[in-house]
Amino acid sequence: MDSQVEDILGGMEEDDGELTTDEGLSDIRIMTLPGEEEGSASFEIIGEDHTLGNALRYIIMKNPEVEFCGYSIPHPSEDKMNIRIQIYSEYWEHTRPYDALMKGLDDLADLCDHITHAFKEARDSFVDPGDSGEQR
Amino acid sequence: MDDYDTIYGSDRGPQITIKEADSRHAQIVLSNCDLAFANALRRIMLAEIPTIAIDIVEIQTNTSVIPDEFLCHRLGMVPLDSTNIDDKLIYTRDCFCDQYCERCSVTLSLHARCTGEDNVTVYARDLVIAEGAQLGSPVINDPEGQGTIICKLRKGQELRLKCIAKKGIAKEHAKWAPTAAVGFEYDPWNKLRHIDYWYEEDAKEEWPKSKYADWEEPPIEGEPFNYDAVPSRFYLDIESAGSLPPDEILQQGIKYLQEKLAAVIETFSNKNEAGDGFGDGVRSPGQDYAMGGMGGGGAGYETPYQGGRTPFGGAGLAAPPSTGGQLMGGHKCVAAVVVG
Repeated sequence: MDSQVEDILGGMEEDDGELTTDEGLSDIRIMTLPGEEEGSASFEIIGEDHTLGNALRYIIMKNPEVEFCGYSIPHPSEDKMNIRIQIYSEYWEHTRPYDALMKGLDDLADLCDHITHAFKEARDSFVDPGDSGEQR
Repeated sequence: MDDYDTIYGSDRGPQITIKEADSRHAQIVLSNCDLAFANALRRIMLAEIPTIAIDIVEIQTNTSVIPDEFLCHRLGMVPLDSTNIDDKLIYTRDCFCDQYCERCSVTLSLHARCTGEDNVTVYARDLVIAEGAQLGSPVINDPEGQGTIICKLRKGQELRLKCIAKKGIAKEHAKWAPTAAVGFEYDPWNKLRHIDYWYEEDAKEEWPKSKYADWEEPPIEGEPFNYDAVPSRFYLDIESAGSLPPDEILQQGIKYLQEKLAAVIETFSNKNEAGDGFGDGVRSPGQDYAMGGMGGGGAGYETPYQGGRTPFGGAGLAAPPSTGGQLMGGHKCVAAVVVG
């Protein structure tokens, strides 16, 4: 049993070595699913769940060029998240689903920055009404 | 901020108000925000902020009435100080050491013996942290300064053990959770009808008012239902388990959400530079799903992570299950030698 485990792991390490020949993340975390067409594609992100899925879906849907965006966790015991993006046909020339996904990620990062800023402001101006001694 | 205006219109985007705060909890109002984002923040704070917790216990002597596994589990649950953990500790799986070292772990030892007639209670404060450790001391918040109870000893009983605390996240094991709970509420008057209250005769009479009800306008009698309304004000109550203060929990939450995004963006841009978009990742249809999503190849009964690996790396690799033995609640015990 032990040797079997080691064999599997040994094999994996070799594979990792091949993948990490240059810089960047060693694991393939994102891929396009089969069935891609002009203006529409589905992506699979490994290691993500509803935490990113729903927020990303929402922010991509906010993009006026996007006709549809939906996400799904195909199976609860697989660590995968699928996300589908369709672009309105009038924008096909300059926007691909990849661009919409990228923009979604960037927008979400900007949103996070804004929340950090808003929180710091609120925290610095917070005065505990009950206890004036402690200020956080 | 330009992106924000295009997304949220001309107003200033999400706002935060702090309602109440002390060293253990914070009540905040996140307004002008959407449900998806607020929920992502809640989920991150619950499960993906790293803290430090006891992960390996080497038991030398345990003559107490509590079995080793039980004791290990209790020790794992003791909250340890994790402030600014990102600057102080790395994950063991990212470390070059064989099993653990001071770069990726903190050692705490415990030695207690009952010699008198009265029973002795062992508290979290009795865990002695290794010299020079920058974090990982047991969190003690009670007025007596004792911390949580670990065990009780009768005359002649002894406890001598070494605990190795490691960095981890609550997605792997709940002992790494920085929060005891995150309260999450919106629409206290149920104007959106997301809740269908159960009642005997009258829901209004029988259900208590939400504690956030005073923060929003009550519904007007006979008001028509607004089908387009969406929740936009969220009441979060961050309750710290002690390892991190609530203000750090929130900031770390946002940080790790961004880190998630950055990681995806990075793989994404690397791929696009390679030329053909994600072309290299395309699989032939059915290749992966042919086996009903169980993953191809292998013996057919292994987990997706192979041989007891968790998605967060091979915590159990250094000590294969047969030699180490996996204790309750995911604690690995390298050497559980029971004397006596």
